Amino acid sequence: MNETLKATGLPMYKQEADSSATLRKDNQKDGVAQVVNTIAPAKMTLAEVRAKLDGKSGKRYWKSLDELADTPAFQELMQEEFPRQASAGEWVDAVSRRGFLKVMGASFALAGLAGCTKQPDEPIFPYVKQPEDLVLGKPMYFATAHPFPTGAIPVLVKSDAFRPIKLEGNPEHPIAKGKSDAFTQASLLDLYDPDRSQFPRFRGEQADFDKFQEGFAKAVAATKTGEGVVFLSETITSPTLAGQWKQVQAKYPQAKLVQYEPVNNDAGRAASKAAFGDYYDTQYKLEDADVILALDADFLGGIGFPGFLPMSAAWAARHRFDKDKPMNRLYAVETMPTVTGFKAEHRLALKPSEIDAFASALAGGSATLANPEAQKFLTAVLADIKKSGGRFAVVVGPGSSLAAQSAALTVNAAQGAVGKTVFYTETVAPLPSEHAADIKALVAEMNAGKVQWLVMLGVNPLYNAPADLNFEDAFNKVPNTVHLGSHVDETGFYSTWHINKAHYLESWTDARVYDGTISIVQPMIEPLYAGKSAHDVFQTLLDPSVSAYSVVLAHAKTYMTGGAAASGGAKAAGTDAAASAVAAGSSFEQAWRKALHDGWVANTAFAPKTLGAPKSAPVAAAAVSGIEISFKPDSSLYDGRYGNNGWLQELPKQVTSMSWDNAALMNMDLMGKLGIEENEAIELTLNGRKIITPVLMSPGHPNDAVTVHLGQGRRAEAGRVGAGVGFNAYALRTADQPLSAGGLTVARGHGLYDLCVTKVHNIEHRGAYAQRDLEHPESDKDGTYSMAGHEAMERSIIRYATYAEAMKNPDFAHTGTKDSNGTLVNKVGYNPQGEEVPHEDSFFPDNWRYDHVAVVGAGTEVLQNKWGMSIDLNSCVGCNACVVSCYAENNIAVVGREQTKIGRIMQWMRIDTYFEGDLHAPVAHFQPMLCQHCESAGCEQVCPVGATVHTPEGINTMVYNRCVGTRYCSNNCPYKVRRFNFLLYSDYDTESLKFMRNPDVTVRSRGVMEKCSYCIQRIEAVKIEADKNNRAIEDGEILTACQQACPTDAIVFGNMNDPKSRVMQRKAEERDYQVLADLNYRPRTTYTAGVINPNAELA
Amino acid sequence: MAQVFDRSSNALARASLVLAGLIVIALGVTLNSLQRSPWVTRQGQRPDQPVPFSHKHHVEGLGLQCQYCHTSVEKSSYAGIPPTKTCMNCHSQIWTNAQLLEPVRQSWITGASIQWIKVHDLPDYVYFNHEIHVNKGIGCASCHGRVDEMPLMYEQNSLQMEWCLNCHRNPAVNLRPTSEIYNMAWAAPSSVKPVWCATNGTAGPTAQQVGCVTRDPAASNPQVAQLSSPTGLGNAAGLDKTQAEPGLPAGAMPVNYVKFTSQIELGHYLMKQYHIRTANELSSCEVCHR
Repeated sequence: MNETLKATGLPMYKQEADSSATLRKDNQKDGVAQVVNTIAPAKMTLAEVRAKLDGKSGKRYWKSLDELADTPAFQELMQEEFPRQASAGEWVDAVSRRGFLKVMGASFALAGLAGCTKQPDEPIFPYVKQPEDLVLGKPMYFATAHPFPTGAIPVLVKSDAFRPIKLEGNPEHPIAKGKSDAFTQASLLDLYDPDRSQFPRFRGEQADFDKFQEGFAKAVAATKTGEGVVFLSETITSPTLAGQWKQVQAKYPQAKLVQYEPVNNDAGRAASKAAFGDYYDTQYKLEDADVILALDADFLGGIGFPGFLPMSAAWAARHRFDKDKPMNRLYAVETMPTVTGFKAEHRLALKPSEIDAFASALAGGSATLANPEAQKFLTAVLADIKKSGGRFAVVVGPGSSLAAQSAALTVNAAQGAVGKTVFYTETVAPLPSEHAADIKALVAEMNAGKVQWLVMLGVNPLYNAPADLNFEDAFNKVPNTVHLGSHVDETGFYSTWHINKAHYLESWTDARVYDGTISIVQPMIEPLYAGKSAHDVFQTLLDPSVSAYSVVLAHAKTYMTGGAAASGGAKAAGTDAAASAVAAGSSFEQAWRKALHDGWVANTAFAPKTLGAPKSAPVAAAAVSGIEISFKPDSSLYDGRYGNNGWLQELPKQVTSMSWDNAALMNMDLMGKLGIEENEAIELTLNGRKIITPVLMSPGHPNDAVTVHLGQGRRAEAGRVGAGVGFNAYALRTADQPLSAGGLTVARGHGLYDLCVTKVHNIEHRGAYAQRDLEHPESDKDGTYSMAGHEAMERSIIRYATYAEAMKNPDFAHTGTKDSNGTLVNKVGYNPQGEEVPHEDSFFPDNWRYDHVAVVGAGTEVLQNKWGMSIDLNSCVGCNACVVSCYAENNIAVVGREQTKIGRIMQWMRIDTYFEGDLHAPVAHFQPMLCQHCESAGCEQVCPVGATVHTPEGINTMVYNRCVGTRYCSNNCPYKVRRFNFLLYSDYDTESLKFMRNPDVTVRSRGVMEKCSYCIQRIEAVKIEADKNNRAIEDGEILTACQQACPTDAIVFGNMNDPKSRVMQRKAEERDYQVLADLNYRPRTTYTAGVINPNAELA
Repeated sequence: MAQVFDRSSNALARASLVLAGLIVIALGVTLNSLQRSPWVTRQGQRPDQPVPFSHKHHVEGLGLQCQYCHTSVEKSSYAGIPPTKTCMNCHSQIWTNAQLLEPVRQSWITGASIQWIKVHDLPDYVYFNHEIHVNKGIGCASCHGRVDEMPLMYEQNSLQMEWCLNCHRNPAVNLRPTSEIYNMAWAAPSSVKPVWCATNGTAGPTAQQVGCVTRDPAASNPQVAQLSSPTGLGNAAGLDKTQAEPGLPAGAMPVNYVKFTSQIELGHYLMKQYHIRTANELSSCEVCHR
């Protein structure tokens, strides 16, 4: 039944409303497994939540609504060590366990013997001529860049025998500084996606690219002027491609180029044009901003926001608690709760129309807001901005409305931020345009029959064009359609020609990063399927014999100065520079090689422009009635381009922890008003267009507003991963209202849909100990009891303080003050129960001595390694970059929606989101949770086969080949960070995925436990290098994958024996604490308590 | 009622009990020895290779050094199987028509690899690393045996985990001066053939810290002694430093030579000098499995 539903692309519903409990009982009775998507979480009703919340106040932590409601049903669920994992049984398909055993009987007998048989012969295929600089077994690193519409991300590619196996930010690049993000990390999997298009097609049949070139060139030449030829491209990021387009335009002046991205910066473009008469990009230097106001700008969320890497790093650097340096303060005004909003000191949840009103009031400086809460917020923000003396920034981005955009321009100019923290430059995209207006005009032309050739470069308009344009009808009126794409997607399937696109790791191009610096994108591997790039398509009309490499090389001469080094200063790109480069070929060659080696072309960053005051008047907010809908790109899938990427589909989304799904987010009040329960499927109607979607209650969402995420609901053409997942929100989105719209109606009566949310996986019953806490609370006396929330409070999992409190008592994470009733009063989450047990009191000795010092050579000492990690909760923004990096580094398997839902997701680290306080305006804390590598680890003590042991360097290591799968270790782990291969999750068969695997990490098979290893393969590699040279490992020489990816430097790993190491400096801070320290497991991973800097007026 | 079983069946019952026990034990012993047998470990087996390459001929006969073909043994986990090009360096000149070399020529012409069969094949969950072993004083022959005497390549040792651990728990039994890594005929020191070693007091890579000689430096001309003491891994820098050491009169004997007449003594000395990690660290799981 599942399969049929999936194939038709319809969301799956659970038909019976209340069968979950019954089904669970059935399972236990006869052992017959059920289809798992019928196992719903323990239900809460709004009334129950309300009743619980009524009259409660104070600091409460909770992870999900269910636990907040804390119903008996939820308690029952919590009796299980692993909620749902156990109740689901092992089998999620309808094969009964007994039947399986019957079938497997014979195989088991053979399997027993197979364990003793010898390995098959393994062949060796040596090179015929080995590349000169290749040392097999040692990785090589090459610089390139990941082109993205909002600006390229410079990367360093780890290449094993010329196969890219890991992407990292380019450590020498001034913008990336070695950091990266979830999309860049996951783009590696896109390269090896087995569903990629593997050959060009003509009317669905395999065809040659040459044939296309011939036919296309002839047809266009016949038009003489290029009339009727339209290129519909994704945002052109390559200066070379823009140059090629100009050549095409010169040759065929009537040919047209339209750029369309469903998630674009149209509002920003329009605001810039209105204010300055031309398109400009805004660059923020947040290191100099004391006050930041994010107007619907999720700049900590990922590279969907231009400048994510430098901005998040700068924000985090200024947000560290340092007694001598003032902290910055972040205000966020937004609709959907984002990580930026929850990292902000003050977050104001407003409907889209209210944000417009807020922006107008902000720009006008006058105070007339209907909402008193917003008014108070505005007054406080304005006062803070004035006080900062220009050291502030109003940040807007692609998601911000026109009103917000122009308000930012006005306020930044009027209050003096421009030139201090805000800079205007020319656009990173070489051909800026307003996408929605352009595609609207294009569709009109197509409908009028004026388009003969529609060449679509990397776009998928049949999936994501605005719904009101009826792109499909217009598309059918075009006689010749050409689609260049990595997949035969919704558009590629129906196009006359489909050309398989090369991945950026396979092709030559160039791109600009946030600050304008140009990076050369060079291929890392021969195109797996002989894919083509947009350069090749344009070159068809110019000179098909010229390769993309030659085009990029030739165009590089316009911005790369060959004689720059000799003349003592680089010239800017320009005509005379090009001339000198041609004259001095050898110095150009040097510059070219340097650019390829370094990963960027020096001195190509934009110089800030002086534009004067913006000319436009602030945009008045339009009156919008009824329920409003807000469209946001998915935090994991962006606009849907990563739909077939298993790592990103499975990645729990920021804040909501939803995986393999999207949902209509709304707050509890609206749900109450409409009578909707969580997990119910509803029908959204906007201007007569309808979609059916499940509902997820979103704490902190403004009332009378619904947020939907774009990028899901791909059709069968998307590929085996993305097809039929979620619902397609593009079906409601129009060209004129791409960000938000009013007048939404919601209808019930579409059954239930069991969302896949991972956050309930890890709230587990911790046995009698936790029960005692609940019965005899020490500090949380009148609490809204919820297991995890209560524990977070009672056992001090999350600790933080305000700046003032931290200044008064820097040791706030370990001491508390009590009022006259004996209740702890300070807001720091401290509790004596959460305290470490003094080591002397412990029965458990250290596993090893870690104090060995080797003397190597004269006066050189090598300290023994004693590994440890520290995670700064002040800096962690919950962006998920670390999680995806861990996927790539450690060959972690993707398990799929059904398995994820029952808690079998395999990722070694997760970001726990703890909500605190009022359901309407909660505070959230992000806590990366991964193996803590405890010194007296519970897992080690219960493993009957010694498969998890303590190494002499303190790491709790997993020996896969010893593991027999008892799962005792996982049961005994209080942090619940162990992952078990219930089924054979690793894909051993798909050829292309074999290329991607990290050769230094075992691909785990069925029945094996796994967990974070502190990237033991990286440690061993560095250790061998150091041992060869008889030296100590330098601090920072080993970076774990999560640490390397983290854009805000929240994670630090190193030798705890070295007091000078960064990890020890962090651990030496007073705010350093262990999670669940009272268990005396003595974790090596510790956390630095957060400090926030709230405005007293809003507190 | 008549007895169903005759008295003699008592003995039969006892015997069958004993027999059953014996069968169980025998089965265990059989499986155990099967697991350790060459049938499973392939110890001593010579698989059919496309070319019957003789290490004996090339190493002993022609004097090729190991690294001529196994180029990355000092710098990578993988020692390296030579590309066809390496064969053709010589065989484009000599034995150009030999029938045995047909697969090599075919590979050279077609660009397809010569498909060898792996002789030393560890399980995939074992991460063995050549470079650290070679750099820390484990000779090729310690694991691979007298390859120079093997007309056809075979596995000298079982390569089972117990065999690895024998050395990882007590590396002293196999350590040799790094200058002797590629010396197939290296024999452990004995009272008949002692070894003299001296440190030069420098920091840096293992190979440059200790110099060893096999002739008594006191008895023979010191120059000769020093000439016969390569400092290993093709690096003579260490020796120069020894000579340049201040406080040593020019041409005088290095005073710190120590004489070793047994492998254990030498092994313990080298363990200290080479900073070999402790047995605990070397036999920890993550060293080989991850």
